[in-house]
Amino acid sequence: MRRVALGERPDWCARAREAGFTFHTLDGAPYWDESHAYAFSLREIEEEIEGPAGELHDLCLAFTADAVADERILTSLRIPESAWDAVRDSWRRDDPSLYGRLDLSHSGNGPAKLLEYNADTPTALYETAVFQWLWLEESLREGRLPPGSDQFNAVHERLIERLRAIAATGLTGFAAEAEAPEDIGTAAYLQDCAVQAGCATLLLDLSQIGLRPDGAFCGPDGQPLATLFKLYPWEWAFADPFGGGVAASPTRFLEPPWKMVLSNKGLLAHLWAREPGHPNLLPCCFEDDPACAALGKNYVRKPLLSREGANVEIFARGRQVAGEAGPYGAEGFVRQALAELPDFDGRRPLVGAWMVGDAASGLCIRESDGPITGNGALFVPHWIEPD
Amino acid sequence: MAERDLPRLEIGRKVATKRSQTVSTALVASAGLAAFGLGSLTWVTPSQNVLVYPDAAACAAEGIRPAAECQSEYATARAAYPRTAPHYDTELDCARHHGSFRCSADAATTGPRRFVPRMAGYMIGRSAAQGLTPEPVYDHVAGHGGHGGSYCTGSGSAISTGSGRSASSGKLTSVSKGTSAGTTSFGGFGGSGKSFSSFGS
Repeated sequence: MRRVALGERPDWCARAREAGFTFHTLDGAPYWDESHAYAFSLREIEEEIEGPAGELHDLCLAFTADAVADERILTSLRIPESAWDAVRDSWRRDDPSLYGRLDLSHSGNGPAKLLEYNADTPTALYETAVFQWLWLEESLREGRLPPGSDQFNAVHERLIERLRAIAATGLTGFAAEAEAPEDIGTAAYLQDCAVQAGCATLLLDLSQIGLRPDGAFCGPDGQPLATLFKLYPWEWAFADPFGGGVAASPTRFLEPPWKMVLSNKGLLAHLWAREPGHPNLLPCCFEDDPACAALGKNYVRKPLLSREGANVEIFARGRQVAGEAGPYGAEGFVRQALAELPDFDGRRPLVGAWMVGDAASGLCIRESDGPITGNGALFVPHWIEPD
Repeated sequence: MAERDLPRLEIGRKVATKRSQTVSTALVASAGLAAFGLGSLTWVTPSQNVLVYPDAAACAAEGIRPAAECQSEYATARAAYPRTAPHYDTELDCARHHGSFRCSADAATTGPRRFVPRMAGYMIGRSAAQGLTPEPVYDHVAGHGGHGGSYCTGSGSAISTGSGRSASSGKLTSVSKGTSAGTTSFGGFGGSGKSFSSFGS
């Protein structure tokens, strides 16, 4: 893995506009940054990222099978009892998942380590699947990258294939917070993929979701949704007035409720307990577990539920040396051994491995200037160097 | 159609790659990811202004809705047609509602033959912000059902296309079913996340 100064395409802003990528700059701060890019070898991609991501996902599925049948595990994850039926039923019915992103600490020196699984509401999808791909094709065409350069990025094709494979008869709604450009953009992109997969679709704001007397969720005109994609975390959905309507509804959700089990930092403690010493896992425990003492005074403290690095703290010799503010933490914390993100001239890349269905399908890099990747992290493209 | 294919390079690459062969985003490229205008969406009211077209080309030609939306909305309506078309036991019943020579046997059903009207066109909102699900529409025999003709939807709502305006403009009057539409509740998702600015990760 190398960080290389390639220089920007002079017209990239215009290209972004043409491609519909409107949130390349968020609240006045840059988000997409192609002044640099990360180079990988094919072997590194396949053996250190793609392979381990598939294996970690399999471990997660095996864990989910046990978790839905064990109230102690559901309780440890602070999944409310009111959600158990929906979580269990969705797993036992085999409700399909669409996508997820495993975040890895990867430096090229030693195995990548799992930091968390964004299994419920991952974003950065369009930028990965479309704009990063476009960057590679144009960089090849303009000679900025050598012929034969490639990218680990079959996300777009796999999403369409997956949507085609799991599509239910009837209308599929794509719901997100319309005021958040990144969120509604992600939902709109998935809607686009679904149209290409032959689905009948509808894009809507979360507030426009309706619940009909027959139990089906619906769009603003009352038409029932066979499938509802919601870019809204399950823990909040179950706390909302409509949460009680999920278990008995004929509407199927993307992601399905069983993804709650994975989109929770408690997963990391359970996986370590099941597979201690696994090369891609870090020692991890629930903070209230006496066994946590074994981690000593150097660890990362993570809330069970949080997004984009919020409320994550790094402790060294028992003292907090880094921390991101945020509103999370009420459900408790895990402590995880620290796998520092590599440092390239002060820039810290986090590797995201995209799962589409059950297949590792692509990669994205978020780059920050500190040890914790927050919501201000830049999106930096990558390529695979030719042999 | 205004579908904008992003570059299709090296189609039929001889070497297996780790990336998508082609990437095209028809909706996103035309409208822009954040340009869907959902922030200004209003509640659907019982009677509203709609557009009716025989096909996506007619929709695009009039230019009230962008061509890519004409196409995607048509795709949605067309996909809904086999499921949502009204089914009749006899061809005569079907013709009574929708006119002579406008019905055919439904090839998709197994068991006894049933009859469906042909899809005469599709109905969409005047803008994406209207939040109306596109639907197939059917010819409607004048005088039947108490309204002046034109078109109807699979759920029985009437669309009257007014005179003196462009032929595509119509007014949709939903049928009152007493149950479903009346007691559907809205706004039950989103509240728990209101103190957060976005929900992705």
